[in-house]
Amino acid sequence: MIDFLVTPFDRPYMTRALVEALLLGALCGVVGVYVLLRRLAFLTDAVTHTVFPGVVVGFLVSGRSGVVPGALVCAVAAVALFTAIAATRRVNEDTTLAVLLTAFFAVGVILISRQRSYTADLTAFLFGHILTIDTADIVVTAVVAVLAGLVLLGLGKELLLRAFDPEWARAAGYRITALDLVSNMLIALVVVASVQAVGTVLVIAMLVVPAAAARLLSERLGVIVAVAVLVGMAGAWLGLATSYEASVGHDVRLAAGATIVLVLVAFYALVTLGQASRRLVKR
Amino acid sequence: MSRPAAIVFDQASVAYGRVPALEQVHGTVHQGEIVALVGPNGAGKSTLIKALLGLVPVASGSISVLGRPPALARRQVAYVPQADTLDPDFPVSVAQVVLMGRYRRIGWLRPPGRADRDAAAEALAAVGLAHRAADRFGTLSGGQRQRVLLARAIAAQPAALLLDEPFNGVDAVSQEALLATIRALAAGGAAVVVSTHDLGLAQLTCDGICLLNRHQFGFGPPGEVLTPDLLRAAYGGAALELGDRGLIVARS
Repeated sequence: MIDFLVTPFDRPYMTRALVEALLLGALCGVVGVYVLLRRLAFLTDAVTHTVFPGVVVGFLVSGRSGVVPGALVCAVAAVALFTAIAATRRVNEDTTLAVLLTAFFAVGVILISRQRSYTADLTAFLFGHILTIDTADIVVTAVVAVLAGLVLLGLGKELLLRAFDPEWARAAGYRITALDLVSNMLIALVVVASVQAVGTVLVIAMLVVPAAAARLLSERLGVIVAVAVLVGMAGAWLGLATSYEASVGHDVRLAAGATIVLVLVAFYALVTLGQASRRLVKR
Repeated sequence: MSRPAAIVFDQASVAYGRVPALEQVHGTVHQGEIVALVGPNGAGKSTLIKALLGLVPVASGSISVLGRPPALARRQVAYVPQADTLDPDFPVSVAQVVLMGRYRRIGWLRPPGRADRDAAAEALAAVGLAHRAADRFGTLSGGQRQRVLLARAIAAQPAALLLDEPFNGVDAVSQEALLATIRALAAGGAAVVVSTHDLGLAQLTCDGICLLNRHQFGFGPPGEVLTPDLLRAAYGGAALELGDRGLIVARS
């Protein structure tokens, strides 16, 4: 067991992958709880799709170092747009998001399909390449994690109030749109930080699955956050180790990012089954 | 009434965009008074409360809350929404909900302190639910949730309290607890505005009645406003004549 969980990470590239995965697991666990409370999974999904053309343009302009800035520009623009749309309340939010996210995504696909290494690049952007992560990527993730921590420490109670009772928050004089802009930007930053490691498609699982599993396990917000962080980190570790073991030990190639997601989903499924059987026993 | 005025309506009209919701409201709620907003469904009771919170603009005339325009008085005004508008699955404890009443006082970037927790605990005890502090909000009954929301408002130590249909679907025990707490708050000098369907309750417990249906039909002591003529005028078809014995008002 120790061999399985520790030995793979002797290699420098695996150490970097582990550090990045653990950081993301914790970051996504915390922010994911807020996504869950606000029911923002769809908005998050929209952000992941709109980030895609930014990633592609960044890559075309200045290679790998352009990916994060490209993603950042797109994410910030998208979130500003979404928040403004939500604030007007004139149009159906879901429809608008759906139109925008597919449009942005299509632009990204067209841009990248003009490249010779089309398939390889597309795969890397969609599903990440955690095994070739470099120190700069880890620094970006760490900065976002610190920023997320500061925002949640500083505005935790206001964000909780906004999520629980927005009308009351407005009546008490809070600016909901400003609070939403902050939380949506935070979600966008998490997506941007995750792009290199797990790609734009799998981030949503990192955000939603640990928080959803934690919610099943507890009714208390503090416990939910702690469990979501633990689940996110444990899933990241276990996923990486499994992917390594399968690839190196058994010659079965398992994509690392997707394996992490599957480990998380498996855990969620176990918790759901456990709860269901407990309910059956109670009857 | 020798007490100072807390809320003053001066020929106030409220509109959503260009659609007028409520017109010509005129009257005064003094400190320590409980005034009921009564009228049929869609009369504009909730709209008037939203106007008092500064969430819906005053189209003409004026509304003054504690001497200021509504939007500038929010820190001294506490609002009690209907409990069933809140998600019962939300993972938040009763104590956490009541503590929310302190957030404005605490201010940005700072965590609640000892004094805030004490004030919240005291408010929860005032509505008789201190023993449920650790439970999840959604596990309480509708009436208990309504009491928790009242406790949240009390924790803010407001000079004016606004309640939107607090007695809807509430059991007798909770109704009694709500009434006792509201009365105590008014006795302490707060001005209370409460919308309700329950004319009997309004007559028994309120110092004043504001009878509405799109516009104001009366504003004054219960004996002057809850008269068959005015009720007939405000409720129209929902008013049921009982010969010479009086009149019954259907719920909607």
